Amino acid sequence: MDPVVVRALTKTYPSGVEAVRGISFDVRSGEVFGLLGPNGAGKTTTLGVLTTLVKPSGGTAMVGGHSVVADPLAARGSIGVVFQDSVLDNEFSGEANLRLHARLWRVPDADARIAALLEAVGLAERASDSVRTYSGGMRRRLEIARALLGRPSVLFLDEPTLGLDPIMRQELWHTVSMLREREQVTVLLSTHYLEEAQNVCDRVAIIDQGKIIALGTPAQLIDRVGREMLELRVEGDPNELLGALRELGPTVGEPLLAAATVSLASSDSPEELSTRVTSLEPSRLGVRTMTVRPTTLSDVFLILTSHGTGREAAVAGASS
Amino acid sequence: MTAGLGALYRRRLAVALNNPIAITGQLLLPVLWVLVVGPALARAFGRFSHVDYFTYIAIGQIVFIIPFSAMFAGLVVIQDRNFGILRELLVAPIRRSMIPVANIATVLTIAMGQLALIVALSLIRGAHLHVAAGRLALGLMAAALLSIATYALAELLAYRITQPQIFGTLIPAIGATPYALCGAIYPLATLPAGVRQFAYALPWTHAVAVLRYGLMGGPASGLHAIWHLHSNAEMALLSLGVLAAFAALTVGSALRAFERATVA
Repeated sequence: MDPVVVRALTKTYPSGVEAVRGISFDVRSGEVFGLLGPNGAGKTTTLGVLTTLVKPSGGTAMVGGHSVVADPLAARGSIGVVFQDSVLDNEFSGEANLRLHARLWRVPDADARIAALLEAVGLAERASDSVRTYSGGMRRRLEIARALLGRPSVLFLDEPTLGLDPIMRQELWHTVSMLREREQVTVLLSTHYLEEAQNVCDRVAIIDQGKIIALGTPAQLIDRVGREMLELRVEGDPNELLGALRELGPTVGEPLLAAATVSLASSDSPEELSTRVTSLEPSRLGVRTMTVRPTTLSDVFLILTSHGTGREAAVAGASS
Repeated sequence: MTAGLGALYRRRLAVALNNPIAITGQLLLPVLWVLVVGPALARAFGRFSHVDYFTYIAIGQIVFIIPFSAMFAGLVVIQDRNFGILRELLVAPIRRSMIPVANIATVLTIAMGQLALIVALSLIRGAHLHVAAGRLALGLMAAALLSIATYALAELLAYRITQPQIFGTLIPAIGATPYALCGAIYPLATLPAGVRQFAYALPWTHAVAVLRYGLMGGPASGLHAIWHLHSNAEMALLSLGVLAAFAALTVGSALRAFERATVA
């Protein structure tokens, strides 16, 4: 059985808010799986259900082979969690924080395990210092070490790089990647940094308004909307340009307007795309600059979460 | 069943002991009473009374320090929740009810230490205690039940109040006000009749009456004023029953509030 199995999961809060509306997905053993979505999409609620902090309203969720509803204790015994906000006992040293966790998780041979993980995350020399003196990156690394202490089968990372500078973010992903290999752990993460998700995740699910609207490898999702991204910087009224772009045919997606930039994804080659757009006499339509570049996961995310249309196509194969 | 209780208890105790300023600050007033104010009052007013007034108010300080410390400890619950520590504990593979239970056990441990300190200082300063094993056990049970009940009340409030500054206003209100009305520093017979009946219903009043019976012996006038019975032991047990009911009510309510506050 896959370490995370979610079927038709729903969560409606007492206030009536439907945070999760029938999502299903599996996370395979050893993979890094990303949950992406705009604020309020249902990512945190989904992670809350999987970590037993939120009671689902319907459906099933299994973690480490245990139902989060029927056997939450066993489910918790198979997970490690790194929360969005730094959650450390500031009164204590890094080592003392790990020691408390080791007692709660009943980690055998805790001393050796703590020493090994502190070494792995580069905090061995600061182990006895109060965590108050740690930088944001050090705190995050300590939290990852703590989450791995109990040898979980699934590691949950909720926005782990939020608030970190780019160098710290890179270091953190390097640490996660190294520990994932070493600990043979499955990782389920949520992040707003889509370029990180593209680099780190084996597969991603994009959630919007409580539903999964796309699921697959980053490359699969990019293929679904088109590998090339056209960006046109416009002056004046863009409506005529938008109308002309919509006439380009099925290999070109729905154009998006953001500020003075119109962008669209296409399955055409860069040359074909340039030729077809040039044929529209773009300067007549107010286009000042034109760029064609590879589509990124960020573009996929924006396209899928901005449109009411096209979702069904992207979701096709979501259970694969 | 109780897995994790020891780890949670040790963590909470370490949090408390890591904050010596808070512990010292809470002890300052009762220690001042026992070492300075009590003897001064005893010299000034003791001659109007047939009882050993210093010993009388020294024991009364126990029902100040225990509830006050318990209320103060409720701030840790707010801190744990606001700083996310509670979430970290909630995803541990332990029964979640062990979290408030460990908190109560920790506060009880600290309360017993504070009681021992007050008794020791009182003896050094000249208090006359008349202790017998049975009565002492009753007194300790009264102190323990008051500690459990008032801390559970603090925990219950801490799950409902998110802002520490608002919770802070309740610390003196709940921690100290009943102390002024429970006969810790003067006999309740001196109060107006209506207020006196209210004071007799306060668990604090029962606690101080049992503590005096347990540590001072003698006629158990506090218990007689409440129950009007002949058997001191019987009255002490009745007062312990009141304290146990108070503790059961607040602990039950705190556990329910904890469950509501921690699972969405």
